[in-house]
Amino acid sequence: MTGLDPRPAPRAPAPVPSPRVLARRRRRRALGRFARSYAHNRAGMAGLVSLLLIATAALTAPLFIDQAHLTVTGAPGQAYEPPSPEYPLGTDNFGRSVLDLIIWGARVSLAVGLLATVVSVSLGTLIGVTAGHFGSSGGTGGRITSTVLMRITDWFLVLPTLVLAVALAAVLPGGTGTIIAAIGLTVWPPTARLVRAQTLAVEARPYVERARALGGGHTHVMLWHVLPNVMPVVLAQTTLLVATSIIAESTLAFLGMGDPTTISWGGILEAARTAGAVSAGIWWYMVPPGLAIAVVALSFTLCGRALESVINPRLRENS
Amino acid sequence: MKSQYPPAGTLPRRAAAAGAALLLVGSTTAAPAAADDDGGTDTLTVAMAQQVDSFNPFTAQLAVTTNILRHVYDSLVTVDPETNEPAPSLAEDWQASDDGLTWTFNLREDAYFNDGEQLTADDVAWTLTTIMENEDAAIASGNYVAGFEEVTAEDDRTVVIDLEEPQATMTALNVPIVPQHVWEPIMEEEGEAFSDYANEDFPTVGSGPFMLTEHERGQQIRLEANPDHWRGSPGFDELVFRYYTEKDAAVEALRSGEVSFVYELTDAQATSLEGVEDVAVNISDGKRFQAFTINPGAETQDGEEFGDGHPALSDRTLRQAIVKAIDNDEIVEQGANGQAVAAGGYIPPRYEDFHWEPEGEEAVLGFDPDSANEMLDDAGYERGEDGVRTSPDGDRLELRMHVHSDRPDNVQAGQVMEERLADIGIEIDNRTVDPGILSDALYDAEYDLIFTGWTVNPDPDYVLSIHTCDGLPTEPGTMQGDAYFCNEEYDELYEAQLAEHEDKDQRAEYIHRMQQILYEEAVVNVLTYPNIMEAYRTDQIGDIQFEPAEGGNIWGQDGYWAWWSAEPADVRAGAGGGLSTGVLIGAGAVLLLLVAGGAYALIRRRATAEDRE
Amino acid sequence: MTSTSTATDGPAGAPTEDAPAGGGGRARRVALYVLGRLTTAVVSLGAVIVAGFFLFRILPGDPVRAMTEGREVSLEQEAELRRQFGLDQPLWSQFFDYAGGLLRLDLGVSFQYREPVTELILERLGPTLLLAGTGTIVAALLGLFLGARAGWRPGGRGDRVNTAVALFFWSVPTFWLGLLLIVLLASGRGFFPGLFPTSGMVAPDATGIEAVLSTARHMVLPVVTMVAVIYAQYLMIMRSSLIDEKGADYLTTARAKGLRDGLVRRRHAVPNALLPTVTLIFLNLGQVVSGVILVETVFSWPGLGHLFYSGLHVPDLGLVQGLFVLFAASVILMNLLADLVYPLLDPRVRP
Repeated sequence: MTGLDPRPAPRAPAPVPSPRVLARRRRRRALGRFARSYAHNRAGMAGLVSLLLIATAALTAPLFIDQAHLTVTGAPGQAYEPPSPEYPLGTDNFGRSVLDLIIWGARVSLAVGLLATVVSVSLGTLIGVTAGHFGSSGGTGGRITSTVLMRITDWFLVLPTLVLAVALAAVLPGGTGTIIAAIGLTVWPPTARLVRAQTLAVEARPYVERARALGGGHTHVMLWHVLPNVMPVVLAQTTLLVATSIIAESTLAFLGMGDPTTISWGGILEAARTAGAVSAGIWWYMVPPGLAIAVVALSFTLCGRALESVINPRLRENS
Repeated sequence: MKSQYPPAGTLPRRAAAAGAALLLVGSTTAAPAAADDDGGTDTLTVAMAQQVDSFNPFTAQLAVTTNILRHVYDSLVTVDPETNEPAPSLAEDWQASDDGLTWTFNLREDAYFNDGEQLTADDVAWTLTTIMENEDAAIASGNYVAGFEEVTAEDDRTVVIDLEEPQATMTALNVPIVPQHVWEPIMEEEGEAFSDYANEDFPTVGSGPFMLTEHERGQQIRLEANPDHWRGSPGFDELVFRYYTEKDAAVEALRSGEVSFVYELTDAQATSLEGVEDVAVNISDGKRFQAFTINPGAETQDGEEFGDGHPALSDRTLRQAIVKAIDNDEIVEQGANGQAVAAGGYIPPRYEDFHWEPEGEEAVLGFDPDSANEMLDDAGYERGEDGVRTSPDGDRLELRMHVHSDRPDNVQAGQVMEERLADIGIEIDNRTVDPGILSDALYDAEYDLIFTGWTVNPDPDYVLSIHTCDGLPTEPGTMQGDAYFCNEEYDELYEAQLAEHEDKDQRAEYIHRMQQILYEEAVVNVLTYPNIMEAYRTDQIGDIQFEPAEGGNIWGQDGYWAWWSAEPADVRAGAGGGLSTGVLIGAGAVLLLLVAGGAYALIRRRATAEDRE
Repeated sequence: MTSTSTATDGPAGAPTEDAPAGGGGRARRVALYVLGRLTTAVVSLGAVIVAGFFLFRILPGDPVRAMTEGREVSLEQEAELRRQFGLDQPLWSQFFDYAGGLLRLDLGVSFQYREPVTELILERLGPTLLLAGTGTIVAALLGLFLGARAGWRPGGRGDRVNTAVALFFWSVPTFWLGLLLIVLLASGRGFFPGLFPTSGMVAPDATGIEAVLSTARHMVLPVVTMVAVIYAQYLMIMRSSLIDEKGADYLTTARAKGLRDGLVRRRHAVPNALLPTVTLIFLNLGQVVSGVILVETVFSWPGLGHLFYSGLHVPDLGLVQGLFVLFAASVILMNLLADLVYPLLDPRVRP
């Protein structure tokens, strides 16, 4: 791995107040520190602000977009109207406002990106933590489990991602769920490797050994000691994966694997392409969805990198 | 090499091929009129997207290959571009016996293969008999000979075909006739593997106006003119088909003059090309219809029910209400942006004689959602609280709709239909899927509404035959047709039109009534006839034959009229200049790479140099 | 492109972990190490073959029906096609036929082209290697060069601009960028009408030096598209690798010797920081073969990706599954090479 060092280990608890209160205070302080150093990262802030704006627009879209105007039969304009005050980004082949479609499409694209990431991060974390934990403290059986899990992960790493996603999207029944599954099931291996490495580092710390000595079972150790300490790394990885997933969604749509009846950025792009918008010079149909994908993917990447640098102080100087 | 004949080298393949062609051609008649005005070759370049499967005329399946092979091998009969009627090709004329079971074709005398051998009745008889007898050879054209009993060569110029039963396609036998002396050895040598034989020993030996000389898979296919073709030499010396996976790239290539012709344009592309200098856009009436069929309850010929179609759809009232809820004009506007014709009957208006349109009192299924709602109310389809109706038997009207994901016009029409059917209380589960999945649903009868579409030949026999009761499957999964439609009156009319090969008006009358039955039963519902949209460069192609001559199309003709007739334009601007610019820019690109590499090397060198300081 | 994220992939599988402890000669250790890597690669490949076969067999849709769809064919014609493709055999027998064929490097027959998949692949391998190779080399040179600049002064203006630009291009959908480039630089109306060809690999009639130049010209847009999207990976890895390296003692020593800053960077820091990128380049070379699917499709480049796209919707089982195996095999091979070569370059991880 790239050398993502764990955060400095928390200091041993002082004896006076109750440990629980202390822990909470410590966490709050850590969070404050975290937020402050994140705020210092200008690129990260820019990404965060742009994401917040886009998310707000997507969530409140039903308030200012008439859904009837997004239907095929209720389209307000003529086909392929160029940008005008009424339709700032022109209209599509049905006469729907492209701007409305982009804003509405953000809902699906973001949902696909986030859900696919949830699938892959959960899978990756589960496998990574299990492999790491049992690898370091599970006896012979545990080591075998760990080895098998990591071999499977390595094997998935060699599968061509795009080809596998396409095959999965084709095998599963059509629809947005399939796209989420196809992306989620193909991009998890790097997360698993990362989490495993982090788990190994955490397991080596004294307080985990202490918890084990005090009779903490595997589940207890994994849930209460390993997982919270792995989370920061996972969080950074998650934000980076959302970017990948959103690009993947548009790629699958381009390869004809998407659901053309759902309004998503990839879907709009594909519709524009099949309509021949590129060669017909209907740029307002083709350019905005691609830019939207790029901006959101970039924002997520910036956030993810900022998180990484906050978590890993060695990278902090490169804000 | 798979066979020793025709000769083909491997290394400088094209040169060898061209040389061989010249030799062969020279041996028959006087040397070809190779007198080009400027010594160059006139090349017509066509942008195409589909891959070719095989140039073996016995096994080639895909539309693009059959289209190309049509230029390489003549068939007995072709279609007249002026009248759409059967026209002489290899056969100068033909007669049918009174019972329609014996057909005699008289071949022309001036048909030669491009290796100098004359094309005789033996070649015709051998080709057709091979298709009848050899399963491997029946893949492409087996359907044409299905009703043949025997094919005999009475003499060099006369072929007699005996039929088991009357067959309407006898004057539309679109079967490529191959030279027996070339193919008999190939068949013997290949044996079992014949169906894998790709016929890529160039130049191919055929009698058509062009011969295949080169195939670079995924890049291009080259055909050279056969200057000795009996119909006369084609206008262009060469026909090149180049691959463009992206339609947009193909259109841009037309704009920049890289290709001379692009077909299957979208409406947006056609519109944008209309104002472009030196480009002519040709929009013609379509040969295809776009339709959806409703699963009326699938049955085998023995009456065994199967599949899981919605039970309420066996009710004709419901089917008719569905049709009435859909506005074909709206599908034309929204689904095809106006580039289609709203459909009436089954056969497109391009075929005037056979086309039928419901008029006046016949038009019972015109767009009328109010009346559709009324019909459903009266028939006991109650609306639920969510606005979705329930059938009298208590089944909720939630219908699956399978749409071809690879056909944008279908996808768009599907979206319109989904919303329109909601107006009459039907919920649509829109399944836009790959063709393979769609046909699985069709053959297993696991669908409610499903899209279909056919290209209709000048003789509409095939598209009519698929809706006879014989089209029903003998066992689940083996259906011949595409709709599980079976109607006795329709079948009687079908037999009647099939037997009627003399009186064309009478046959048209039968076919009109068949279409009326299809219309009223509302199982097969035609939505639109999409227009054919294509464009060519007028500075490269001077003159070209449409089919039909008035308002016809260029690509996908039933004959080889377009490319045979195409004449190079007089102005040949920039033919040489273009190439040298290309070379210049190529050189520039190489230079750029070298500079980049050099810069890198220099930086490394400088690094070491500085070290020495 | 591929889903490799910019920051997480490092030198995978640092070989130290399963190096046998002590004992034996060095030669034996090396042999064991190499043998271990080889076994892993072979087992992975076997699993890929099995998975590929069954994954693509459960693809819905009957290829014969899909191929003959909309054409006037009889049941007999369909049955004949099915027999030819071996689709009438039971699944296990199809699998053993396939596995047996693989031993003879026979990947079966493509349904739509009716040709051995191996032949099709060999025919298209060259163009893909040309495109993917050039793309990777240019992207690596550009990325490493810019990354070395950016990483030496992290946080500086140059770093910020460089990183932002690279990340932006990394975030752009590949095919979209390709289409825009076609409009802008290849069409009849962009800034430079018809500057580059829209598609293909070489002008049809070009021979000799002309063909080489024509190929170069055809390559410009696809390579630019590819490089724009993937160079960020190299930039990022070089940058962080250099940042890691910057704190190293030997650099302090070098500076203490009074060497100029640029010299320290070029002579000492960069060569060492290059090490981790070697693995990345190998890994990417493996992935890039399948990664060019989009670029080849957009520019009609007659390579493997284009071939894959053409077989996707049929579905041309033989072809698609053969390519799947090939794509995976290329990653496995490159991983293996990385594992074997890396210890040679970096003495610290030698077994």
